[in-house]
Amino acid sequence: MNILTLLIFTPVLFGFIILLLPSSMRASFKYITLFATLLQLGLSIWMYLNFKTGATFAGISHEEQFQFVQKVPWIHLDLGSAGKMQIEYFVGIDGVSITLMVMTCLVMVVAAVASWEIKSNLKGFFALFLLLDMAVVGVFCALDFFLFYTFYELMLLPLYFLIGMWGGARREYAAIKFFLYTLFGSVFMLLVMVGLYLSVKDPATGNHTFNIIQMMNPANYINGSVFSTITHNTILGMPARSVGFVVLFIAFAIKVPVVPLHTWLPDAHVEAPTPVSIILAGILLKIGGYGIIRICMSIFPDIALSGAFWIGLLGVISILYGAFNALAQRDLKRLIAYSSVSHMGFVLLGIASNTAEGISGAMMQMVSHGFLSTMLFFLVGVIYNRVHDRDIYHFRGLGSLMPRYTVYVMVAFFASLGLPGFSAFVAEAFSLAGAFKSHSVNGLLPYWMAVCGSVGILLSAAYFLWTLQRMFFGKLSLKGGEIWKIALHDINLRETLTLLPLALIALGLGLMPSLVFDKVNDSVLALVQFIGIK
Amino acid sequence: MNPITLHTDAQTVTLAIIAVALPFAAFVVNFLLLGKSKASGWVSTLAILGSAVLSLNVFFRVWDNHTIHMQQLWFTIGATKVQVGVLLNNLSVLMLVLVSLIALPVHIYSTAYMKDDAGYSRYFRYLSFFCFSMLALVVVDSLITFYAFWELVGFSSYLLIGFWYDRDSAVQANKKAFIMNRIGDIGLLTAIIILFTQFGTFDLYELFKDGGLVAHSFFINGEWAAGLNYIPSVWHYIAFGGIFLAVAAKSAQFPLHTWLPDAMEGPTSVSALIHAATMVAAGVFLLGRVYPMFNEAELTTLAIVGCFTAFMAATIALTQNDLKRILAYSTISQLGYMVMAMGVGAYSSSLFHLVTHAFFKCLLFLVAGVVIHQIKHIKEDNSLDIDPQDIRHMGGLRKKLPLTFIAVLIAGLALVGLPLTSGFLSKDGILIQAFDWADGRSFMLSIIPIMALLTSWLTAFYVARLIFKVFFGELRLLKAFPSLQIHIGDGHWAYKLPLILLALCCLFPLFSLNPFSYETSWLYEAFAPKHAAEGQSIYHLVIPALVSVVSLVIIFCAYVLYIKRGDGMVVKNGLLFRISYNEWYIDRFYKRIIVKFVIWLSGVLYWVDRKVIDGFIHLLEKIGLAIAKATAWCDKYIVDGVLWLAAELVQYIGNFARRFQGGKVQYYLYSMLLAVIAVFILKLIWA
Repeated sequence: MNILTLLIFTPVLFGFIILLLPSSMRASFKYITLFATLLQLGLSIWMYLNFKTGATFAGISHEEQFQFVQKVPWIHLDLGSAGKMQIEYFVGIDGVSITLMVMTCLVMVVAAVASWEIKSNLKGFFALFLLLDMAVVGVFCALDFFLFYTFYELMLLPLYFLIGMWGGARREYAAIKFFLYTLFGSVFMLLVMVGLYLSVKDPATGNHTFNIIQMMNPANYINGSVFSTITHNTILGMPARSVGFVVLFIAFAIKVPVVPLHTWLPDAHVEAPTPVSIILAGILLKIGGYGIIRICMSIFPDIALSGAFWIGLLGVISILYGAFNALAQRDLKRLIAYSSVSHMGFVLLGIASNTAEGISGAMMQMVSHGFLSTMLFFLVGVIYNRVHDRDIYHFRGLGSLMPRYTVYVMVAFFASLGLPGFSAFVAEAFSLAGAFKSHSVNGLLPYWMAVCGSVGILLSAAYFLWTLQRMFFGKLSLKGGEIWKIALHDINLRETLTLLPLALIALGLGLMPSLVFDKVNDSVLALVQFIGIK
Repeated sequence: MNPITLHTDAQTVTLAIIAVALPFAAFVVNFLLLGKSKASGWVSTLAILGSAVLSLNVFFRVWDNHTIHMQQLWFTIGATKVQVGVLLNNLSVLMLVLVSLIALPVHIYSTAYMKDDAGYSRYFRYLSFFCFSMLALVVVDSLITFYAFWELVGFSSYLLIGFWYDRDSAVQANKKAFIMNRIGDIGLLTAIIILFTQFGTFDLYELFKDGGLVAHSFFINGEWAAGLNYIPSVWHYIAFGGIFLAVAAKSAQFPLHTWLPDAMEGPTSVSALIHAATMVAAGVFLLGRVYPMFNEAELTTLAIVGCFTAFMAATIALTQNDLKRILAYSTISQLGYMVMAMGVGAYSSSLFHLVTHAFFKCLLFLVAGVVIHQIKHIKEDNSLDIDPQDIRHMGGLRKKLPLTFIAVLIAGLALVGLPLTSGFLSKDGILIQAFDWADGRSFMLSIIPIMALLTSWLTAFYVARLIFKVFFGELRLLKAFPSLQIHIGDGHWAYKLPLILLALCCLFPLFSLNPFSYETSWLYEAFAPKHAAEGQSIYHLVIPALVSVVSLVIIFCAYVLYIKRGDGMVVKNGLLFRISYNEWYIDRFYKRIIVKFVIWLSGVLYWVDRKVIDGFIHLLEKIGLAIAKATAWCDKYIVDGVLWLAAELVQYIGNFARRFQGGKVQYYLYSMLLAVIAVFILKLIWA
């Protein structure tokens, strides 16, 4: 049994167990889920420790350099004169996926712990939760486009129900908005996927293939096919490869999310229950960034280069626009949602630079934001569970009522606003350094983009500190009066056990960024070189 | 380098690292082990004592000796290796000693000052963390780690300003301090990124050493060239602008100075250490670190801004009534001197003034702490509702607090720059070099030294006003409340000892054996360029005399104004008074214009988000629904309609035809006859 396959399908196994168990045992479901996620985390850490680095394990465009690979035929159909349909179950990881995968497994554990707050229809919730778990891990490992797409779409279904059934007051609106937004992206992705399939031939078998790595090699494109690198086909008068890139980019940009495709995010976050918010912010957004690196940039490197300016521009706009919007919020959860938009802008800016610093910074930012947004949403959940209110102006002086909670809030806020010592600092600094350096190295991004991006760092200080000042400092005063005062007890052991590791990880990554950089460096260098030579 | 020096160098570096790490260890111990225990004060104090001893040791090993630079790989990103390391040269060991030596008396003082505070151990936790960050800041060797500790000192300052976090004014102040410092931080970050792009390294030593990378870069055809790298030379100025912002934010220079007066919301001992002596000097230290990078135009900018800040802050200090606010503006003014000195090329005098200022300003703040503490006692003993920091309540304290009075006298004289004090040496150095610099430059630039001289006289006035109002005359509270119970005094030894130590450091012998020549000071000599053309100009005689004599006259005038004639003589509603009293309206401008604008902009963008972007989405939704409805209508009435019609028709015909099968024979015959007739008629028609 391949360990990667085991990792992907472990949760769904436990999901079946939960489905089979009678509802009278519903109290055990959360422990089963927690066990499943912990098991998965253990597996992923084992893989992290055994992950080999070096130029010969860079991955990206070299199939043989991926690790923990499993490749078996999945759907092979003989279509007669149309050739053979070749879909494979092909999973493997390189430096880009390993760090995100470990991050995902850890965030899943936290989300499982946060699920303690769920009180209704436990069987359905945990079964869907575990299905979602399988799908997201699958996305990070899949190297066959068809498989990738399957996992990608499979995420939507559980998420729709998780938001729509266990969410807040406007959950149905949020769920359908989220669903349609994402579906809009992925439907067109399907067309490009089919187009790519018809354009690419596996040199070994001579069949069309969905193999992502084969799609990266321009030699595999059939002459005259839609996405051929040599013949410049057009779709509706536009170059076909550009259209393909843009369509895929939009699909992933919705996930990231990139302004102006972001408005599903605040609604989905606000309405989703805490564990789902955690998964959304911690993992889902990274799938967008991962998809841009793995699919958009790697399959269409030529367009990635010529369109870098626009990608970078969207990144800068996201940074500033998200930050300003965060400043305008009075719902704490919405504020954090917009701060996610702002922070993910750095990812886009870093990727667009196509420098080792920029892409590594973007990778670091994704991992770092994975942990920090998890922490932030968990913290909002703490307060919301106690009094069912999140309005910043309804609280004041929480610091004296909940001192330990306030310490964690301060850690999360300061880590998010890029205080050195925490992971976000290194990530943002190097995303910006890469973006600035880009002009001298490859001329992709103008200098001013990095300078504008750095204003986002200033704004993040403004909205986080303003929130701290309004909610946590000053004299204690609560909208709910004495009742709230009793309800707002300081964090308990379970919450501490969740928050402390997250805080320590954010600190650890900040002090030892090599934990991430060592693993991604070879892949990033290979990627930069791969994109650059086109 | 031979192995023996290498070995001792490694030892020196180890000592320096331990000196830096001790306060951090104290922070960890206090945080994890001691909880709310009162022992935390002593743990922190012992740690800083250890740091001070080790720093002195390191100082004597490195001072006027070779530079020690050791580093180790931190992480690799792409092809760039990011190192962490220690860079020990004259500048860093001087700061190392200065910080730990100032921090020591402040720690001792704090054990008494914060004794009754509920957050005693939290206070020492923060204080130790600050000391760690500050000590690390001065010894690190790379721009990245420099930036990291640069922010961490800002962060610890944030924690300490907002130490009493249930006070609204305190948390407003610390937010403001951090955000304004962030403006500087992004400036610094931008500058670092530009330097990194240009030179490919973060290493301070490689970049800024004699003949280092920066020294070898040059301008050609509007480009800034370093090796094979070219970027437009405007980016050199932007890098300077970034560094300037960083300096302006940290060292409270115009236009980013407004956080410092508000930062006085923190405990007074903190103001003494962080907001007077050490952290705010970090900006000047940064200038010292990256000095080789500036060109003529950039230096002139520094001189202008520094001079303006010095003048502006001094004019504001003239009219303030809050004891700590006066000192805060005085700090801004003196920092302006240092920045100006850097700008006019008086590198060594700037650092000299940094050191002397640290001692006398720290002392002034500690004195202010004693005074405020005692007034608070009076306030609490008599349950009055007064602001204990308002100098209008004070007066006549020299009899009650004799030692404090002597200390403030020494510190005040040093701040004014009168002979026999350390301030005389360093301030005259700056002024003389500023006049030398202005010689042969345009008329506009010669205003700079004149304004600086003017500022030194303003300084004399506000210092005199402060001391006269607080320590001379009669206690004004007694006039308002004649029945006051007053039991106050210099206090515990933990108050007295730091005052004595610092007062001794404000006198000339620590710095120079000759009380009238800054050039013979060891501190000046170590940094001064080694050429002999100094000491010739006429200014060396004129300026010190001018400063001292006029200052004495001004002090006498202040004496007459405030003691002989009482307060009545001061005009309190002139335009100039209002400008000064309202701090040149700068803060008001920021609050009313800039902050409002940002909030407004964020509101507008949120509106865009909801109405435009989401509005578009909702429009799409409505269009989708409309199309769906149209389709549904079409489905119901057209597609289904045809079907219904067909069905209706069949039914109708069926109903009609059914009537022919009623079972009555007459009908059958009748209909048969009709059918036959119809056939015949049709046949006739068509035939």
